[in-house]
Amino acid sequence: MEVRERNNVRTMGPEDGPTMVFAHGFGGDQSMWRYVAPVFATDHRVVLFDHSGCGASHPTAYDPDRHADLSGYVADVVEIVEAVADDPVTLVGHSVSAMIALLAAAERPDLFDRLVLVGPSPRYIDDDGYHGGFTAAEIDELLETMDANYLGWTQAMAPVIVGNPDRPALGDELAEVFRRNDPAVARKFARVTFLGDNRADLVRVRTPCLVVQSRVDVIAPLEVGHFVHEHLPDSDLVVIDSVGHCPNLSHPALLVAAMRDWLGGDRW
Amino acid sequence: MTSRAERWALAPVALLLLDAEVRVLDANHEFLRMIEVPDVEAVAGRRLADLLTVGGRIYWETHVSPLLHIEGRVDEVAVELRTPHGREPVLLTATEREVRGERLVEVAMLSARERSRFEQELVGARRAAEDAERRVRLLHGIAADLASVAGLDGVVWVLLRTAVTLLGAGDAALWTAQESGPLRRWGGAEALAAPTIDELTEPAVREDGTVVVPLRTAGALLGVLALAPRRAAGADPLDLGTAAAAGQLAALALARATTHEQSVSVASELQGAMLSDGIVDDPAVEISARYRPGVHDLQVGGDWYDTFRVAPDVVALSVGDVVGRGLKAATSMGQLRTAVRAASDTGLPPEEVLGRLDRFVDRTGTGFMASLVYAELDLGRGALRYTCAGHLPPLLVPADGDSHYLWEARSTPLGVRGTTPRVADTVALAPGDLLLLFTDGVVERRDRPLGLALDELAEIVTNALEAGLDGEDLLAAVVARAPQDDDACLLAVRWLGPRTTDGPAPAVEPTAGSAGGPSADEERPG
Repeated sequence: MEVRERNNVRTMGPEDGPTMVFAHGFGGDQSMWRYVAPVFATDHRVVLFDHSGCGASHPTAYDPDRHADLSGYVADVVEIVEAVADDPVTLVGHSVSAMIALLAAAERPDLFDRLVLVGPSPRYIDDDGYHGGFTAAEIDELLETMDANYLGWTQAMAPVIVGNPDRPALGDELAEVFRRNDPAVARKFARVTFLGDNRADLVRVRTPCLVVQSRVDVIAPLEVGHFVHEHLPDSDLVVIDSVGHCPNLSHPALLVAAMRDWLGGDRW
Repeated sequence: MTSRAERWALAPVALLLLDAEVRVLDANHEFLRMIEVPDVEAVAGRRLADLLTVGGRIYWETHVSPLLHIEGRVDEVAVELRTPHGREPVLLTATEREVRGERLVEVAMLSARERSRFEQELVGARRAAEDAERRVRLLHGIAADLASVAGLDGVVWVLLRTAVTLLGAGDAALWTAQESGPLRRWGGAEALAAPTIDELTEPAVREDGTVVVPLRTAGALLGVLALAPRRAAGADPLDLGTAAAAGQLAALALARATTHEQSVSVASELQGAMLSDGIVDDPAVEISARYRPGVHDLQVGGDWYDTFRVAPDVVALSVGDVVGRGLKAATSMGQLRTAVRAASDTGLPPEEVLGRLDRFVDRTGTGFMASLVYAELDLGRGALRYTCAGHLPPLLVPADGDSHYLWEARSTPLGVRGTTPRVADTVALAPGDLLLLFTDGVVERRDRPLGLALDELAEIVTNALEAGLDGEDLLAAVVARAPQDDDACLLAVRWLGPRTTDGPAPAVEPTAGSAGGPSADEERPG
């Protein structure tokens, strides 16, 4: 299947602008970028997409084997970038997509010239001398909570798309979208997200990175942001005055300013 | 009348007012009662996420908070509050509004203890149903794959493959019990350690998640299957129950494979023994034979060849094929082959030999539908009397002329009452003439007419002879060109001419069923 259809790829902004690709995190879809992407669309060619198994990705996009770990999502991103751009792009990844972005850049440095990592965490579970923020038992608890919302899942997530002004009304198709977004897939994505360990991959990334860290983030705490910054060969860390794991929604102006500052900076 | 503020405080639902950073500004009595704190001061300033269980906290951050930002409201989200006595399941509704430039979040929560229990049962029941359905489908798949193979190698191959494709293992190893000595290992990386004594008794899960299942039928240990989990973070852990059920299928398949191989070996030994005494030794004739079992399913077929004397200077030749495969076909073949010897008699025409065999088949049921070519060769004069019961015609390769098939004297397979009577024909061989009797496994049919397939066989034989091959070498060359999947049985007879010490040769009478043609005596005087 064509990649654009598979991952519901949308573009906006000037065709001749530098390309900026936004990758959403666990629990959402491309509308998570609704307050950030349009700002950059004034002078960038902005590319949005839904991860396989999320949002309005094609029903056949999710493959339990391919997406059994992050490498399947990484392969998706590489294929998307190859399909939409001829030159290296700026990739913005939130939450688990920050890790997906790092792995993609480690595999294919030729495709990316800069990475923006919003709330990255290479490992959520505490380990010897490493504070990830969670114990293994707590992650199991998350999976239980997701199960508790099993019945209400469709109702809870539907408005994310309904209320998105960037996309035409999906009407009756909407219910279909959510029926096929099997809660079992979301649960698998939760396992892939929260049970992985990518600390050793950080050193493989040669691409310049900006780490954007919320002042308070219970999912990816401050010290995890520092850990990522210290272990990446070429990175800058910016702590913004936001609370929560989704500054792209709660504090978009702070995130945009930090990105503008770094992207437009004279570090080259 | 109470004030609106008092009614908020006393409402029978838990109510919270949060600031932009989701910290508690105010809480009503019902909320304080739920989390068992005495007054608002005990929670003021704390983040709502901190009052939830960890699962609820992550869910809030990744799902609820984004929804609140985008929609300004969320409805009926199931989370759990942390209380001194454990968890309190609640249904949460929240709205966001701006008051004088300040973002405020209002939250209402209803205890969902009863509903939660009910939903958990529903979810549990649904998951159990899904698991059961998945397990049945998976076991069906394994059973179907196992049914498609017969021998031990095949069963082992299917088990190692389905362990990965269907059971979700990252790697798999199998150990099978041998008649004596240690377990024999098949497949799997070295990291998959051999089973311990304890693991030979009950299915077990090792510390690294490897599932080990002993394969037993009727108490006997036939093998051990070990499944290593996949390393991917999102991979589901291996399910012991499913692995144990698959183990039962595997044990049955191993038992069947063992029985099958014993039966195959008994049948092939039996067949070998029965065919071992079938070559007449006489200076007037060169006889060679070859039997090559098909590789189709390791089972022997019911093909045979035989030569024996019916008179001091008359040799009988028989090549036939009993319907079916395996031990039963091999024993039927043995009986029928012996019956041919018993039915033939000095001076009894071949067509009457067939008549006797028909009666044998009628009485015993053995050899029904068997096909057979039966011939008697007069070693003194070279006269060949032959008959074909549902069998392919013999190939005659004259010492000086083109080869051709003997298409006369044809009738139905044994035990079948056709409209054609049992008939025989006579041809006269010249010294050096070669006669080839064979079963249908020698002929490569593919999907083409029999005539073309027979032409090709004749050509193969001619070419091999021209290449200087003869006897066993000739038959080996022909068999090498035969299809691999079916049994192939061949008998080659070359008449060398009358023995110099012979007395007068018996006269050869054209048989009643002869379809005419030049008499052997006229054409080739002995």
